[in-house]
Amino acid sequence: MTETHDDTPTSRPTGRWETVQPWLTLACRVGLAAVLITAAVTKFPPALSVQAVEAYDLFPTEVAQFIGHVLPLFELALALLLLVGLATRQVGAVGALLMIVFIAGILSAMARGLNIDCGCFGGGGQVDPGETTYGLSIARDIAFAAMGAFIALWPRSPFALDRALGLFR
Amino acid sequence: MGSEARKRSREKLREQREKEKRAAKRNRTLIVVGAAAAVVLLVVGIGYAVLTSDNSDGYEGPLAAQTLQEDGSVVMAEPDASAPVVEVYADYQCPACRQFEHFGGDVLKEQAAAGTAIVHYRPMSIFAQQPVPISSNSLRAGAAARAAADYGVFVEYNDTLFENQPTEGKDGFTVDELKQWFRDTEPSDEDAQAFDDRVDGEAEIVKEFTEEYLPALTADATEQIGEENIGTMVLSDLISWGASNGHDPAFLEGTYTGEIIDATGKAYTRYSGANEFRATPSVYINGELLDGNTAMSARGLSDAIAEAGDGEVNTEPMDSDGGGDAEENP
Repeated sequence: MTETHDDTPTSRPTGRWETVQPWLTLACRVGLAAVLITAAVTKFPPALSVQAVEAYDLFPTEVAQFIGHVLPLFELALALLLLVGLATRQVGAVGALLMIVFIAGILSAMARGLNIDCGCFGGGGQVDPGETTYGLSIARDIAFAAMGAFIALWPRSPFALDRALGLFR
Repeated sequence: MGSEARKRSREKLREQREKEKRAAKRNRTLIVVGAAAAVVLLVVGIGYAVLTSDNSDGYEGPLAAQTLQEDGSVVMAEPDASAPVVEVYADYQCPACRQFEHFGGDVLKEQAAAGTAIVHYRPMSIFAQQPVPISSNSLRAGAAARAAADYGVFVEYNDTLFENQPTEGKDGFTVDELKQWFRDTEPSDEDAQAFDDRVDGEAEIVKEFTEEYLPALTADATEQIGEENIGTMVLSDLISWGASNGHDPAFLEGTYTGEIIDATGKAYTRYSGANEFRATPSVYINGELLDGNTAMSARGLSDAIAEAGDGEVNTEPMDSDGGGDAEENP
């Protein structure tokens, strides 16, 4: 990426943005981590999250089983990394990408006329027609993706392991 | 001239320094990203191992004896076992029931065979009022499972049905499939023929029920007692209402389709309070409803059974004269 926001402490101008941005990034890190932890915990036990994945009708049974088990764990791992601030930029980008994948999944369910719960925060599976909340789920995921993108674009923030390791000082 | 040269060498030095700095940063980034990737692999790897460690992958041992009950349910237990009674309410078209079967089915078989649990399978059709093919799939499968119980292969057939569960909203559990799955249990030719006839007959009944009887009944009832009231009625109550309002349900009598609708209605009144039956899958141990998280993991289920005392099966076995062939004729 560009050099503008990186470790060149001597040449950095000290404007208002430069003071505020690290705290905004920290807020996004904590916020996105909280979202991911909630999403992971509510997906337990795996039987339920497997069912939520199967409801999308996109994967063969074995793959759905695997995703149902691994997805909450992956969310948990990302949350952990965001909280400690390790590889902040890349984790933010992966988080945003994950949200975009979720949005694509919901759009595909919508396009195929499925009546399912997105299973984003537990739940999942079939719902009555007219009880779907695709719009809300997508809007939510867009907001989460934006948080991830913000972190990826401006990774410099306080309380981050990256700092201790000499990145984004 | 000299100052030109000095300037150039200074420039070069700076470039050199910049380059080194960039390389160092690249290295730091690589290390950090590598560490992050390792954390992800570790969390996912350990988590996956823990989550799947209690998946009993396929109990292949012998099954405990299966006893058909008067109401069409099936008890799987060792003869004279004293153990907690685990009641399982499931609909063959319900995805969560399939998950339950996947995660908990083998625990139940294993425990029943070991005499540490009495398993009471109570198939039902909560989807009977859904649109076709959800309703028809659910009812056809339920009736076929009941027919398999006549030949003592309910548990095997139950497994096959869940393994082949159609996606909700898609046609499935076809008459040909249902027949083939029974043949897979290696019945005598005579039994296979009787089973085929039964499945054919039930499929006709299911078609009539879901495509003619129920839509007409629902339309009439909506007009006369209002949609809201219907929403609070269980299907068997709606059918009783229909019986005295020009929708004769006699065609359901003596059929397994009728039996499973009846069994479903009764489940709603069997328990009260916190134990009230609400959805499938529902698992009760000695009449106490297990919460979803406990029931849906093999470990939760095993622990709950281990903690429970002995229970009593609350149905009577069907008169045993070779598996209920006597009432086989529709």
